[in-house]
Amino acid sequence: MADNAVNVTLTIDGVPVTVPKGTLLVEAAKTVKQEIPVYCYHPKLGPAGLCRVCLVDIEGMPKLQIACNTPAADGMVVHTRNDKVDAGRAMILELLLVNHPLDCPICDKGGECDLQDYAMAYGRGSSDLVDPKTRKPKGVDLGPTIVLDEERCVVCQRCVRFDDIIADERQLVLKDRGVRDIIATSTGDPYRHNFTGNVTELCPVGALTSKTYRFKSRPWDLQRTQTTCTQCAVGCQMFSDVRYGVPLRTMSVEHDAISDGWLCDRGRYNIGFYDSAERIVQPLYRRNGTFVQIGWDDAFTLWGKALREALRARGPEAVGAIGGGRLTNEEAYLLQHLTRAVGSANLDWRAGLARQATPGAKGGTLAALDRAQAIVTIGEPLRERAPVLWLRILKAVRRGARLIAAATPAEAAAQCAGLAPIALVWDGVDPALGAAYDGAFAGFAEVATFIASEQGNARGAEAMGMLPAFGPGYAAVAPGRGTRAMLEDARAGRLRVLSILGANPAAYAPNAAAEALDALEFTVVSELFMTETAARATLVLPARGPLEKSGTTLNLTGDLLPLHASLQAPEGTLADLEMLIGLAQQLDVELPSAEDLERAVIAHAAKLPTGFGLGDARFDDGPSVAPPPHVHRTIFDGAGTAAHDPRLTSLRALEVGV
Amino acid sequence: MPVTKVLTDGIGEVDLRDLAVYRARGGYRQWERAVRELQPADVLAAAETSGLRGRGGAGFPTGRKWSFLPTDKHVRYLVCNCDEAEPGTFKDHMLLEEAPHLVLEGILLGAYGIACHHAFIYIRGEFKRGYEIFVRALEEARQAGLVGSNVFGSGFDIEVTAHRGAGAYICGEETGLLNSLEGKRGEPRLKPPFPAIEGLYGAPTVVNNVETLAYLVPILEKGANWFASVGTERSKGYKIVSVSGHVQKPGNYEIALGTTVREIIEIAGGLRPGRRLMAVQPGGGSSACIFEEHLDLPYDYESMAKAGSMLGSGAFVVFDDTTDFVAAAYNMVRFFAHESCGQCTPCREGGHWIETVLARLVRGEGIEGDDAMMLRVAGTITGLNLCALGDSIEPFLKSVLVRFPDAFKARIPSAAPASAVAS
Amino acid sequence: MRKRLYNVGAILKGLSITFGFMFRKRPTIEYPSVKKQHAPRFHGLHELRRYGDGKERCIGCELCSSACPANAITVIGAENAPDDRKSPGERHAARYEIDELRCIFCGMCEEACPTDAIVLTPRFEMADYRRGSFIYAKDRLLVPPDAGVGEAPDERPGGIPGDLGRVAEIKSTTDVARGFSATHRGEILKTQRRGLAG
Repeated sequence: MADNAVNVTLTIDGVPVTVPKGTLLVEAAKTVKQEIPVYCYHPKLGPAGLCRVCLVDIEGMPKLQIACNTPAADGMVVHTRNDKVDAGRAMILELLLVNHPLDCPICDKGGECDLQDYAMAYGRGSSDLVDPKTRKPKGVDLGPTIVLDEERCVVCQRCVRFDDIIADERQLVLKDRGVRDIIATSTGDPYRHNFTGNVTELCPVGALTSKTYRFKSRPWDLQRTQTTCTQCAVGCQMFSDVRYGVPLRTMSVEHDAISDGWLCDRGRYNIGFYDSAERIVQPLYRRNGTFVQIGWDDAFTLWGKALREALRARGPEAVGAIGGGRLTNEEAYLLQHLTRAVGSANLDWRAGLARQATPGAKGGTLAALDRAQAIVTIGEPLRERAPVLWLRILKAVRRGARLIAAATPAEAAAQCAGLAPIALVWDGVDPALGAAYDGAFAGFAEVATFIASEQGNARGAEAMGMLPAFGPGYAAVAPGRGTRAMLEDARAGRLRVLSILGANPAAYAPNAAAEALDALEFTVVSELFMTETAARATLVLPARGPLEKSGTTLNLTGDLLPLHASLQAPEGTLADLEMLIGLAQQLDVELPSAEDLERAVIAHAAKLPTGFGLGDARFDDGPSVAPPPHVHRTIFDGAGTAAHDPRLTSLRALEVGV
Repeated sequence: MPVTKVLTDGIGEVDLRDLAVYRARGGYRQWERAVRELQPADVLAAAETSGLRGRGGAGFPTGRKWSFLPTDKHVRYLVCNCDEAEPGTFKDHMLLEEAPHLVLEGILLGAYGIACHHAFIYIRGEFKRGYEIFVRALEEARQAGLVGSNVFGSGFDIEVTAHRGAGAYICGEETGLLNSLEGKRGEPRLKPPFPAIEGLYGAPTVVNNVETLAYLVPILEKGANWFASVGTERSKGYKIVSVSGHVQKPGNYEIALGTTVREIIEIAGGLRPGRRLMAVQPGGGSSACIFEEHLDLPYDYESMAKAGSMLGSGAFVVFDDTTDFVAAAYNMVRFFAHESCGQCTPCREGGHWIETVLARLVRGEGIEGDDAMMLRVAGTITGLNLCALGDSIEPFLKSVLVRFPDAFKARIPSAAPASAVAS
Repeated sequence: MRKRLYNVGAILKGLSITFGFMFRKRPTIEYPSVKKQHAPRFHGLHELRRYGDGKERCIGCELCSSACPANAITVIGAENAPDDRKSPGERHAARYEIDELRCIFCGMCEEACPTDAIVLTPRFEMADYRRGSFIYAKDRLLVPPDAGVGEAPDERPGGIPGDLGRVAEIKSTTDVARGFSATHRGEILKTQRRGLAG
């Protein structure tokens, strides 16, 4: 009772509970492990008071109260289960089922449905209903990703509120009135933005379902693995749900520190390419202009021989490696280890427009973003580039932070005057711009910087030393040649053998890269699909995707996140790690043991890069090029793996058609 | 007690819509006096002393409602609730169309009482004529300098905005009204926060009924004590009662609170000859029925509550022995089910379910246990709803179902004895 | 002498039992030319039933496979194409396979089925030479299109059987409701019931 101002003490089911003032009863009950059923309430959406199922009995109050909108008060005596509460809850559940179609056997939610669970736990078990139920549209095509079953809807409006509060889109609304009310988009247009999939998870019943998962499985058939999404640099934690070796869906993990429990549609839906028929499942060697299938032994021999010959004939400058941004930390570390072991410093992870992924000395954490009073975005729109980071920024804006996208660094700095802390979110593309902002905000006291890179593990690749100017742990080394310089060298005939692992430089600079790749003596590309770069390779190695391998990645704030394999990779493919081990045997390079590798990755990932800031000169290797028009930023744009996802193809067709 | 004329004074005799006529009868004199001589606190004190209670249905003391406004926030609003849609109520309609200047003066006094500078009147969508009359009156008053900045040179600024709704019963609920006024979907808000703390556009807001605000004019004119001297101990003053149903002269009658139920029926011309009174619904569609044994009760808030009903908005519906109570119950429940906004479960689903069952009963297709089921559902959902609409389903249904069970039993085909078929 | 006569009596008595069996009904039958009539609720080979209009009863809900204690059933659901509807409602079984070697013929699948689609028939002859042929897929489990019985529930386009629950209510393998005649087996049950009732 001493800290009366901040804490209140109440009794829930006979157990005294002390919670901060203002805590809602539904949250307070969780602290004593009392479950109060809820449909409309969600911790991130707040109370709405619609479903009325969270009834509790509070002594001294004549009526049952809803736990989701009653703040805990000192001395309150709450009963979450007694005859009165049970009767009220049973009635609410009976009413919810009055017009519910009870088609649980064919409902995708069946087995993980709150309505099923609570009806079993608190319901009457029977109903007096003898009249026909109301009929509403079923299988409503809400947009490219979502199908809506109006009959199953319990009108909790979680989806409507998610759209309004979290995603700031305001597309979904409740239409019509009374028992006839339905969920629809306000304009009647397809429901479409970057976060639509989240409403299927928020929906407590089977009203909102994903087109890609519809009728594919029942929840109890799925094998669940927690892993990290590698589609962008945020590193959202997600569950990969697999049945018979096919990834059927991904679900978000309540991980407030990173994803805040959300997933973007790109991360959620781009999983159908794993069993695509277009996947490369055997090493391909170019002989007389056409690819022939060869075995892995031959592939390693050819790769090793080409490298050995180039090293002998032309020295270490004649070989180079590109990759890392789409690999795990372990693979990136081994790639630079191998390349440096043969004496070459020609390594780079950068294959696209991004120049820098590590924000350097002022690099911030996501918690710092939550505290920021002003958030300055620089460059590419974050809604596309790092969608879940954008949700976090919207959350900060709701809290009162200012979102600034100014024309010049000086203007941005002027708008931030007097505000602290400040967050700078840069896309990492134009080093001059990054340096200008770094300079403009040099005088501010609390500045946290973030770089939203386009590749999932770009920061990990930098930390592991996949940069010409930095070794592992950002140690300064004698600079080698970066991607652009390597491609120039290739054109000039100085570079002979190039190993490209999980990168597609030809997609960004088609003509220059194509010319360079054609001029090379031997190009090795590890890929899942025949990309623009792979099509020009001498040797194409079939790789494994992020759900098929284990390892670690580093997200944009430097958190070391685990990848756990949830899929059996197709026969004939190898993870890049295994490819590098095979190559090391050919080159007689000693590799660190698994334990040493793990230790090295953890040590280098934990190092705080202090020697540089945004847009450091060492990251600037030549002018940026404009992206070719097909390298687009929307979710179903057909770039990268999404192009090979048959489930997304139909969605994309809708997207383009509208 | 006879019919009195306070608000209704002059209605039907002279054209009160004319500003000159209204002013000639002393109109806007209280408004002038208030801004020139009185402090807002004086108006509030008058409202409190008079014992005026909300005439819209809930009967909450007006002065207390005003005193809930936080004193540290200076942007505040007064909203006059003219979304009169309670079944059986038609008093605000009359005031709006016949005495728009009285309504406006009441709004102005109320706004002065809470020291707000922008008042709104939310007029039910169907009252197109009333809206036009009011807007014309408002324009006239503005021309005459009664509304606007620096009225009567006192330095007090007041703006009044008239808004016409789209015809939803639930927009008469104060938070539903505020949502609708803000341009949102007309559905009640989750409380707390209450409108007095966070109302229209997030500012502290008072929502008062037309009749409540209009009574401020005579209260200021004749003194709070004059008003408080009439009526019963806790129900002071006058009330316009909309009498309808099986009486010979249905209409609006202004009475002093405490007039007995029997007297009100007499005032409205009594029952048709040879008919027997079966029930009276004393407070609109949401109120339970009272019966013969309650005829000598005084018509005030407390007595009606004691009889298991409520005074509500003063809609006084009389049922004689020609009434089919199954059809009446169906009509009432259908209204509430139709007007449910669909937000919260008990009202949305419960109302519809009971409506479906009653429709079946009306068709004569009842089954054993329908009555018990309706009582169970209606009884349990009462008190579980987000707003009061869902709680309005039970009272009338329960009162007639308990009082006239045979009328309902008669709609069950197998159980219906030939003699008991409802009239 | 007496003793000898006594012995003859014993022999005759013994032989009377032997010869007596010549006039009794034989318990053995000449299988396979003669086949045993099993009880109507004998748990034999499965069959997937249809409705009277030829639509499959199975909606691919996988409840049978999750009820199966032997893990013998595999179901993969799919969405009904609007122009080629395999079952009433939105979902049908794209694949339905029972491994009859794993099956323990307990009838739990039948109990779990909300639409009375999967039933165990009295058929018991499944012998084959290859293990693979014991995996019965829809081609062998489904009854012919014209053998469907019963009225399909709610045929709304894109809809689901609105009274799935009602079907479950009248479905019971231990006490078949009056007038229930969904398949041939239902017919058998009904006839049998009539016979028993006299």
